[in-house]
Amino acid sequence: MDLAGQLTSYLYQYFDNATFLILAALGLILIYGMMGVINMAHGELMMIGAYVATYSYHAGLPIPLAVLCAGIAAGLAGIVMELLIVRHFYNQLLSSLVVTWGLSLVLSQGALLILGPSTLNMPTPLGSFSVGGFSFGVYRMAMTVVAVLLMAGIWILLRWTRFGNQAQATIENPRMAAALGIDTRWIYTTTFAIGAALGGVAGGMLAMTTAVSPFFGQGYTAVAFITVVLGGGANALVGLAVAAGYLSGVQTLLSVMVNQYLGYVSLFAAAFVALLVMPSGISDFLERRRSRKVQR
Amino acid sequence: MEPPQSRIIAALNGPQTLGNSAFFWIFAILVLIVAIFFPFYASRFQVITASNLAISSLLALSLCLIWGYCGILSLGQASFYCVGGYAFGVVGINLIESAGNTNLALIAGIVAPVLLAAVLGWLMFYRRLKGVYVAILMLIVSLLLGLFMRQTADPSYAIGKAALGGMNGLRPESAGDPGIPNITLGFGEAVAVFDGRSAGFYWLVLAILVLVFLGLRWLVNSTYGYILIACREDSERTETFGYDIRLVQLSVFCLSAAIAGLAGTLYTAWGTYIHPDGFSVAPNILVVIWVAVGGRKDLASVIVSTVALGWLSLELSRYGEVSLLVLGLILIFAMMVARDGIVSALGEQIGRLVAARGSRREIVACFKGGRR
Repeated sequence: MDLAGQLTSYLYQYFDNATFLILAALGLILIYGMMGVINMAHGELMMIGAYVATYSYHAGLPIPLAVLCAGIAAGLAGIVMELLIVRHFYNQLLSSLVVTWGLSLVLSQGALLILGPSTLNMPTPLGSFSVGGFSFGVYRMAMTVVAVLLMAGIWILLRWTRFGNQAQATIENPRMAAALGIDTRWIYTTTFAIGAALGGVAGGMLAMTTAVSPFFGQGYTAVAFITVVLGGGANALVGLAVAAGYLSGVQTLLSVMVNQYLGYVSLFAAAFVALLVMPSGISDFLERRRSRKVQR
Repeated sequence: MEPPQSRIIAALNGPQTLGNSAFFWIFAILVLIVAIFFPFYASRFQVITASNLAISSLLALSLCLIWGYCGILSLGQASFYCVGGYAFGVVGINLIESAGNTNLALIAGIVAPVLLAAVLGWLMFYRRLKGVYVAILMLIVSLLLGLFMRQTADPSYAIGKAALGGMNGLRPESAGDPGIPNITLGFGEAVAVFDGRSAGFYWLVLAILVLVFLGLRWLVNSTYGYILIACREDSERTETFGYDIRLVQLSVFCLSAAIAGLAGTLYTAWGTYIHPDGFSVAPNILVVIWVAVGGRKDLASVIVSTVALGWLSLELSRYGEVSLLVLGLILIFAMMVARDGIVSALGEQIGRLVAARGSRREIVACFKGGRR
């Protein structure tokens, strides 16, 4: 065994797992972290993205365009969902949870009826490189880069654009925002649509690493949700990065040491333990510690 | 001095449940009589199906208790159901030959999910985890248990004579060992065997359902029930009044797990079969659909909707895999038009009609009106 290859392999797995968590959770950050709506159908939006990406790729579109199509399609689906259903459930956490869960059932079962149970595949692009007898796909590293870029994009969107300011004002105090002339309904719809589109992009990208089926999304919602919840709301993006880093660390360690199943279980166990210590999430916890230090 | 029967009825009535009028109770007794005589005019298949629907109603009641009355939504209620089922199966397979009955297995089927609920509830409620997190964590627990059970096909995953069996479902370890037993009550030679396919089993399940229903009606209309409602409506204020809401939540969570475990036990005995798929998303969401569509804040509504939707699923299964899709649409529709459940809303309407027609009896149903 060659040490450099082994270490690279661990590091590679670590970033792979973290990227997976970040991609799955990105859209939810906007929808849950900002709007307080729990979208249990997020995984199904990813499923829509995955199907659109796969079909448009097989129809001859280049991969970046196919992923873009996935984002647009999921975004449109998100707009429809928001206008028809989610709109009526703001500020009702449990009801929104139940109704979007119903929606996820309808979407996955609908996909099963229309598209059939067989799985689709998309080749993994970009080839591979090798370190000391271990071979690594370049695409997964590209995914990490894209995940970081998307996070930066959200940060810029919220921090530096007119839309971001209006969205933050709306979330902070909807009535005041409306009184200042911000169309809060439009802000909600748009934020939801962007969150959905991010889910679609994530689905499109993940479609190149795994088989696409109607139940593609089922596994992602819980994982994405736990990452967002653990991240907390005070500084959602930093929280997400820390949460993903922590969870994938535990998961990688356990799956390398024992097996994949225990790695997966340990992810949830780690999240559970962390939530027990920090019930309102990592970023709130960090924020509070910082403010305590400032006070001293 | 009131006659004793009216005191019993009074203990079962209250603002926490719909249907407190004489009209309701007479109607309920008529339905019960029809249900009791069901095996005499229905086919064997229909009786078997009816047993299953009654078991599902028990499971739905267990979620109704914590979600509707205490505000604890669990998206993983099926996990208690299946843990109960597996516990019954494992203990039953091991003891049926030596003991000749399933008394201990039945108890195990109730105690195992209660232990699970006690540990999880202690962790969650005593750390004051938000309701939403509790809901999702329960789903995750269920999915993880399912994942674990799926990979137990290896013969090393055996408890005594029972092999967990992975995707084949629970089964005896070797061909000579007994399978999952029927419900066998009694001691020594004097045992009553309830074959899951028989009318006797149907009556047993029906009796349990009626007892659990009446017991829960008594419970939610008692002082404890008022505390449950208080926790649901405003936990901080309840705490200010000196109630330990963590203990209330934990206790009702365990009670709910016991009922769900009992349902799972009966289900396992009904089909002499238990499978890891019971932990997956579909069974968990089904329970939520039954309760949400019926009306989470009323016990009787939940039973009505469970039976109706269960029957609908069976009818729809003739047309291929559409039943989950249709049930999902029904759930969304119900959440849009009647947030507190369709059957409950209908029940309140009927209550008003009966009241308007001059019945002098108090219709407390209207008391509950007003959407939150």
